[in-house]
Amino acid sequence: MTATIGRRSTLALGGAAALAGAATAKAETPNEVEIAMLVPLSGPWAEQGILERLGAEMAVDDVNKAGGIKSLGGAKLKLLVFDAGTSAETAKDAAQRMVAQHPKLVGGMGCWLSTFTLAATEVTERADLPWLTLSYSDAITDRGFKYVFQTSPTANTQAEQIVPFLMKLAQDATHKRPTKVAIVGDNTAASVSFLKPIKSHILKQEKLTAVVDEIYTPPLSNAGPLVQPVRAARPDLVLLLSTSSGDDKMLADTFSEYGMPGSKLPLIGNGGHWAVPELLKNAGANILQDIMIGLANWPGKDLNALSARYIKRTGNPWFGHNEIFAYSHVQILAWALNKAGVANRKKVADEIRSMNVTDGPAVYFPGRHLQFDSKGRRVGAELVIVQWQNGRPVTVFPENMAVSKAIWPT
Amino acid sequence: MFENILNAVAAGLIIGCIYGLMCIGLGLIFGIMKVVNFAQGELLMLGMYVSLYLVAGFTAIGFLGPYAAPFVAALIAGPVLFGGGALLHRFVLRHVSGLSTASRQDEGGFGQLIVTLGISLILQNGGLILFGSTPESVLTPLSASAFILGPFPTGALLFLNKAQVFAAVVAIVVAVVLWLVMERTTLGKALRAAADNPVAATYMGIDVDRAYRIAFGLGAAITAIAGGLMATYLSFTPFVGLDYVIIMYSGVVLGGMGSILGAFWGGLLVGFVQQASTLVLPPQLQNAAIFVVFLLIVGLRPQGLFGRSAERA
Repeated sequence: MTATIGRRSTLALGGAAALAGAATAKAETPNEVEIAMLVPLSGPWAEQGILERLGAEMAVDDVNKAGGIKSLGGAKLKLLVFDAGTSAETAKDAAQRMVAQHPKLVGGMGCWLSTFTLAATEVTERADLPWLTLSYSDAITDRGFKYVFQTSPTANTQAEQIVPFLMKLAQDATHKRPTKVAIVGDNTAASVSFLKPIKSHILKQEKLTAVVDEIYTPPLSNAGPLVQPVRAARPDLVLLLSTSSGDDKMLADTFSEYGMPGSKLPLIGNGGHWAVPELLKNAGANILQDIMIGLANWPGKDLNALSARYIKRTGNPWFGHNEIFAYSHVQILAWALNKAGVANRKKVADEIRSMNVTDGPAVYFPGRHLQFDSKGRRVGAELVIVQWQNGRPVTVFPENMAVSKAIWPT
Repeated sequence: MFENILNAVAAGLIIGCIYGLMCIGLGLIFGIMKVVNFAQGELLMLGMYVSLYLVAGFTAIGFLGPYAAPFVAALIAGPVLFGGGALLHRFVLRHVSGLSTASRQDEGGFGQLIVTLGISLILQNGGLILFGSTPESVLTPLSASAFILGPFPTGALLFLNKAQVFAAVVAIVVAVVLWLVMERTTLGKALRAAADNPVAATYMGIDVDRAYRIAFGLGAAITAIAGGLMATYLSFTPFVGLDYVIIMYSGVVLGGMGSILGAFWGGLLVGFVQQASTLVLPPQLQNAAIFVVFLLIVGLRPQGLFGRSAERA
């Protein structure tokens, strides 16, 4: 028996196929596109996550007010925020819940602390979810992952850039090259990554000797046993590689207590937590004065209007490291969605992987260039250095972004 | 090197006194009620926030200035948490502790475990809703200044953080007052009787339920005062209790479960080991050093340093 398909049946099938196609197209051009943010909103790193959330929320509002994702018929971005908690385990659990309960996610960002990001991206990578991170550890993009994009200069890169800058600054100010450095830091992933190149070759290259090398497990209960050896060794500068503002306050307080505040001995911090409003509130402007901080990003002079809008919107005193990263990550996802023309996470990842722009989301980064290498690292990512001056962190490096001259305490 | 030793030993003793007070609170609750309170870290946290709000939030005692106000606030946190602790006992803990559970096979142990863990989670997350997650600290210029003593032989100077020194002095005074209350007053005798033999105490006319309520309130108050004192030199969030509850348990077990005086010495030893261990071990092993000493002492003297032979609560 043979079956024949008549003209009517063919027309009916064609119609059904067209309807199915339209339905598929409709499914991929939704009214809303979900993106995720997984950051610590509880525990010692919560303030960092809160600042990231404020930056991301403003970016989402900006994208939506500007007409949403145009190639998706003006679909609005919807930000889903998840708490990474207080440990790598809680971050990974939150990531698992996030990908399981929200299959429509097309991209995400987080988790601020490298240790959390390392854990959570194990999950997002398996889900093929493009993930943008400001975390510093080199290990994040050393694992051969395809869907993780690190927009910060890695800790290794930052270490390579900051020490020569400090040496030049010291030499210009004192006409003498520093020879002794003290290292005080915690044992989280970002700090470990930062210290690896410093200990392996940068100290030798810059003819520096580490006279103190004290590594602690956060949080600090008392910084005296870490600071006392610094006083005894009398270094020319101190690298402070803490990762929470609670430890930052205790370290800054204790250096001051031992007669070595940032205004007398060069104290160099690393990471956005050293430049958050809560630290100013808890430690005070005089304790923080002249402390320098190496950062992966900070708004330059050209983003003054954006900064002013953020300050007006949130009431926070400045638009800083965490906020601008979150803002730029949302803009990158919006850009990629627009290019992809479809709410599909793999296509969004493809677009991020192949992006090479000097406008759009690139304007939120020093160097105004946005491109990722095969590891997912931002090409040409540069360090920014800010310094606490009169109760505010101000940019002192690179020169094209600097709003104030760096002060080398003598 | 001598300067390092001098400063580490001094820091150990000072921090140890504050830890000692913190441990007394837990020791008191266990010693009298036999309740293993997993929410003790959160009582410490509440002490910190009460102190913060008294000094900064409501400026209730702000007029005392940044030097005295933080310590007065820490002391006021005690009575506030005494009330909270007594209420917690009245409405929750009495159902899983005391005479009402004496006939049960586990003497209420499983219930206590679940209830105190639950209280801990509720207080942590309630704190998060109420106080927010931003780290706070009770601002005082004392936290960034030191008494500088010396020079000692070899020119060594001793730096004593002023906030920690005052906190340690207040901790010792509170511990001594509590010891006097326990040893010299009728209330102390009633509490000790309720701890030793609740049934016999009942026959002697002691309201054991009331004694337990007072004991839980006192335990909460003492730990809250320690929290208020610690808030003068460190930042805290609603999850800060997690960092200290292990230290509290170590101190109480080291001192000898059931001994209030032992809890203080146990806490002092934990603080001393934590700070002085940096002289011979990397600072990242500070807390590991505590547990090495802990295992050694528990191995050699399972009843703890003071056990029951030195003192009975």
